[in-house]
Amino acid sequence: MYWLERHQLDNLVKKLTESYELFGPRRDKVSNEVIFDRLANPLELDLEAPIPYNPPKYILFPHYEEILRYRYDRQSKQVAIEKLSHLKPKALVGLRSCDLTGILCLDRFFLGQEFVDEVYLEHRKKLFLISNTCVRPFPQCFCVCTDSGPSAKEGFDLDLTRVGDRYLVEVGSKKGQNLVEELGLKEAGEEAAELKKKVVDESVSSFDAFALENKAWISRATNRLTTGFIKPEVWEYIGNQCFECGACSFVCPTCSCFNVEDVNRLDGTTDRIRTWDSCSFEGYTKMAGDHNPRKPVEDRRNKRFFCKLSYSQSKKYLRPGCVGCGRCARVCPGDIGLPNVVTYIRREITGD
Amino acid sequence: MEGNLVPIVTVPEIATVVEIRDEIDEVKTFYFHFDRLEIEQAFKIRSGQFIMCTVFGAGEFAVSLPFSPENDRKHISVRRVGKVTAALHQLQPGDKIGVRGPFGNGFPFEEIKGRNIIYVAGGIGLIPLRSSIVHVLQHRPEFGRVILVYGARSSKDLMYKESIREWKATENFETYFTIDRPEPDWTGEVGFVNQLVAKLLLPADNTVAFVCGPPVMFNSVIKELKLKGIKEDKIYSTLERHMKCGIGKCQHCAIGRTLVCVDGPVYTYKQIKTLGEQI
Amino acid sequence: MPYERAVCNFCGTGCGHLLQVEEGRVRGVYPLPGHPLSQGRLCVRGWHIHELLQTEERITSAFIRENGELRLVLLEQAISYTAERFRKLGGEEVAFLASPRASNEDNYLFGKFARAVVKSNNLSLSSDAGQEESAKVLLAGGGWPAATGSLSKLKQADFILVAGGDLTKQNPIIASEIHRARRAGALVVTVSPRKTQMARLSQVHLRPVPGTFSLVFEGLTRILYEEKKFQADYLEKCTENFEAFFKKLEQVDLGEVVARTGLSLEILTEVARKFYESKLTYAFYPTGVQSLDRKTMSALFNLMLFAGKLGQGAGGIIPVTGISNLLGSYDLGLSPVFLPGYLDASEEKNVKKLEELWQTPLSRKPGQSVSACLAENKSLRALVVVDHDEEIIRNVNRIKELELVVYFGAYHNNFASLAQVIIPRPSYAEAEGTYTNAERRVQLNRKKVDPPSEVRPLWKNLTELARALGHDWKYHTAEEIFSEIAKVVPQYSGLTYAQLDSHLGLKWPCDEKHPQGTDYLMLDEAGNKFRFVLDENVRPQPQALAEQKADFPFKLTVGRSNYFWHQNSLMKRTFIPKREYNALLLLYPKGFVEISEEDARRLQLREKQLVRIISESAEMILAVRISPDVLPGQLYVPYFIEDMIPEFLLRQVAELEKNEEFFLPVRLEKAG
Repeated sequence: MYWLERHQLDNLVKKLTESYELFGPRRDKVSNEVIFDRLANPLELDLEAPIPYNPPKYILFPHYEEILRYRYDRQSKQVAIEKLSHLKPKALVGLRSCDLTGILCLDRFFLGQEFVDEVYLEHRKKLFLISNTCVRPFPQCFCVCTDSGPSAKEGFDLDLTRVGDRYLVEVGSKKGQNLVEELGLKEAGEEAAELKKKVVDESVSSFDAFALENKAWISRATNRLTTGFIKPEVWEYIGNQCFECGACSFVCPTCSCFNVEDVNRLDGTTDRIRTWDSCSFEGYTKMAGDHNPRKPVEDRRNKRFFCKLSYSQSKKYLRPGCVGCGRCARVCPGDIGLPNVVTYIRREITGD
Repeated sequence: MEGNLVPIVTVPEIATVVEIRDEIDEVKTFYFHFDRLEIEQAFKIRSGQFIMCTVFGAGEFAVSLPFSPENDRKHISVRRVGKVTAALHQLQPGDKIGVRGPFGNGFPFEEIKGRNIIYVAGGIGLIPLRSSIVHVLQHRPEFGRVILVYGARSSKDLMYKESIREWKATENFETYFTIDRPEPDWTGEVGFVNQLVAKLLLPADNTVAFVCGPPVMFNSVIKELKLKGIKEDKIYSTLERHMKCGIGKCQHCAIGRTLVCVDGPVYTYKQIKTLGEQI
Repeated sequence: MPYERAVCNFCGTGCGHLLQVEEGRVRGVYPLPGHPLSQGRLCVRGWHIHELLQTEERITSAFIRENGELRLVLLEQAISYTAERFRKLGGEEVAFLASPRASNEDNYLFGKFARAVVKSNNLSLSSDAGQEESAKVLLAGGGWPAATGSLSKLKQADFILVAGGDLTKQNPIIASEIHRARRAGALVVTVSPRKTQMARLSQVHLRPVPGTFSLVFEGLTRILYEEKKFQADYLEKCTENFEAFFKKLEQVDLGEVVARTGLSLEILTEVARKFYESKLTYAFYPTGVQSLDRKTMSALFNLMLFAGKLGQGAGGIIPVTGISNLLGSYDLGLSPVFLPGYLDASEEKNVKKLEELWQTPLSRKPGQSVSACLAENKSLRALVVVDHDEEIIRNVNRIKELELVVYFGAYHNNFASLAQVIIPRPSYAEAEGTYTNAERRVQLNRKKVDPPSEVRPLWKNLTELARALGHDWKYHTAEEIFSEIAKVVPQYSGLTYAQLDSHLGLKWPCDEKHPQGTDYLMLDEAGNKFRFVLDENVRPQPQALAEQKADFPFKLTVGRSNYFWHQNSLMKRTFIPKREYNALLLLYPKGFVEISEEDARRLQLREKQLVRIISESAEMILAVRISPDVLPGQLYVPYFIEDMIPEFLLRQVAELEKNEEFFLPVRLEKAG
């Protein structure tokens, strides 16, 4: 491990901006909220800010993106298809470990299954990832329950941990090693690992009681979800509170459902776009014609929680699909963020 | 069989529609070939697979493949149900389409050699079965009894009339056809497919069944086949789901733990039963 | 920084969002967590607004119709052509249909253009009369013409009454706030004949027979009166006409209330007591389609006043606006009855004052709403329209007879297809402007992306048009217009762009007395006196008089849902909301009628079976949708758009749109 002094942080960022577009947490001045955003001005990077309201998912898996463009001339019967690519290298600085875990889930899902998703791969190829240990948890967080924090274990190029007024830097890749050497960071002694462990342990112990309590319950809920032993009334209770806005999927660092549409443009070309989608929408499974295999709203909710927590789904991510960031709870117009659903299942088990 | 070409995953391959036939009401068959010769030659499928078909300017849809993996003209048969299929129905011979795939697992072929095979289809459920039927008939000596039971609302609603004529004349292929209500010139059976299945003397040992059709027909036929002693894991069907990518990413076709586009679309009835959703 | 702060422009909630702007296009949207009302939530519409903002199905240049064909022209040509045509028209021969989605700046100048340049008082929004009626009732009661309570304090509420509509579909984030308050301990009582999601999320659901809402509130008040649950000293001190109201109350017969509403005296009594005992009390009603009628709004106002729930704290009445700037549009006087600032248009002193401010003579001829003009005014020759499309359906023949239709809009639609002049408009992300949400919060949207080259803000084109007609208008920025608004509209007098920029909106009245805006109405704002709204002269609803005839045993009501509502011209240009809309269309391509399981069983109807719905004057065929949401004896037809509205409803839609109270007596027969 290495030491990064506060003044060296600027060098690090400067170095990165030479070859990458810089993304990181910044505060919106008026609302004072934290957004993981592209930073035109590196000074806006705020590594001390709480967990951003948005996960970095959109950088790899945009809300709306053109993947192909084609032009078909029906007169001459000529087709020209062009694959659109997005090759700007990007540096994501200050990733919370939950969000880094989210990226790893997306990697395993988009790249590690039977087929490689070429569109995702394009985005993923040239990323530089710097994670940032949460030295104190935020009120919504429960990453300790989902094995995704407060400190990152893998997947980063560099990992920062604030110790006093400097950062301990852990190197996770060759790219990271090169940067550390270029910056001439001082090696940290043997005490570094111990120091980091102390910071992380302190962080873990300061989690909210709900998160610590829920730890065991999440695995029990996972069990129930996998085996299907959850009463229909629980799903109905959850379904009644679903406003069908799709927000839980959109803010989830690991939700990756998408829609594909062909959009005709005025210049005669057609864009094939893909956009975020959510299994909570009725039209999501609707087939052309007149058949929807999944109808009531509780059924569709059921699908999402199954996807986040069941064993079989976890196999795809090699871990639970939930990374414990708590965002779904904050954006839900009802009261059915994942932690609450676990609570409802828990109530069913205990009969409270 | 030859090793499969790596499927066309992201950018559709351009194909030319060479012939269009009116099949039944609202269903047309489109014969096509790929514009690039190397693709035309390398494009290999298994029965039961599907492709993602682009109608330029309208969009893309999933469609099961009705042609045999060997010596059969490439074609798709499509019912007009939505915006994209309506645009497809507007095409003329010479127009281009885009093709991605083939995707999906397909029907078993090598594993079922030597067995009796029963095909049961209702309406346009014959489309995905046609590929397997033609393929099995091409290898007729390698199978036991081969039986087709096909029903439709009326004689007008029977798919692939040309193939049916051939099949009727094919030796060692037992075919039964039924329509819901009597018609003047109809010489086949009258009644629902499941009723016909119930009447027939069908083999049960060393037998597999392929069943495709609308949900009501499907369920009633399964009931009859089980009564005849055919095991649930020896009954195959294909599932249709809304699909956007074909490669297991968009998740539109997810049913519980399975994705129809990569794990399916062919499932045994035993598997379908555990999926917990309507077929 | 691609993520930039803005305000959603769909419904009247005015949620805060972040628009992801890349290379001059809006590529995504994300909820703004710090927004005081939406607090990081968006509904399905809001989550897809970027799909709409990216569409190329836009009007991007001006057109003039010649020999039936639209011809592309330069903006300047369209303006001089329009000015030329206007010169030949008398003021009252022109009607102005404004958009409740346009900014305050656009709307203000639109109203000023109508009144000060064309000298026409025929100026209105669409036919959604609910907001106007609501403003009138609240003004008559002595309060403000809009929300008297504070949504910011809703979480502390202990009693919330939700009357009519389905807020979970119309204003989902406001419904979400109600749901939060419930979780924090409030008792939520929904009054609605249908079992809406709002009703499912309430502890108490009162399902009165359609057409008897006002009786419910009168009944509740009468129960309080009988149980002496009111504070005589408060009423004496704070209300002007409580004696008259007491007299009226004495005529309310609880037996009749029970008989006609179908609600038991026990449940009414329980609700009345809980209502009275509550410390912080709110009443919500939607003001668009499915609004309440005036009589019901008055009864609800009186109930709140009688129980001492007004002017004493953060609680109060919240009329919920269905469209982004519906409230702002009324604030700025886009109505034949109100001048800017809700000044009575029929009072000479108000008109005089406006003449002084605007330095031009105004017409004294009373104006009519556009729908009234189209229906009754034979001398109407021209129509100027901003961003509408549904409106046209029912008056299409009359509009075709007009000499001139000028359409200012962003999207092609039904109006554009009948217009002689089309002038493009920017989207809300392409121009600056303020919007006023249901809680009176005025919010500033800064321009995020450039509009197509031929597209300029409405105010700019109106300025040019006014100049061409000889008025020396000198507006260069939206901000200049806003400063003028602050001079004309007393409630906005303390607002500036600079101030709005550094806040996430401020709630009017914002004036010398309330420089930071005002959260809720206190008694002193109301001149220390409220008045019971007695409404002796209100025309009773037709069906309130006529008993339902035996031939037409069902009560048919209409409503909307998440994806359709009046924004189809917008929704149709998105992908996911459109798909959701199509999902239902595919299931019921000819529309559907909801019927209770009980009635379906009795009449032996199957799901999706076609039925003939017959009223006294017409009939239509729809598919059956058996639903647990409607009560026996009732039918419900979703009122979406023309795709799903048979002629039958169109002919009666003006009536149907009036309020939740309205129903159509029909009978039902199997078709075919």
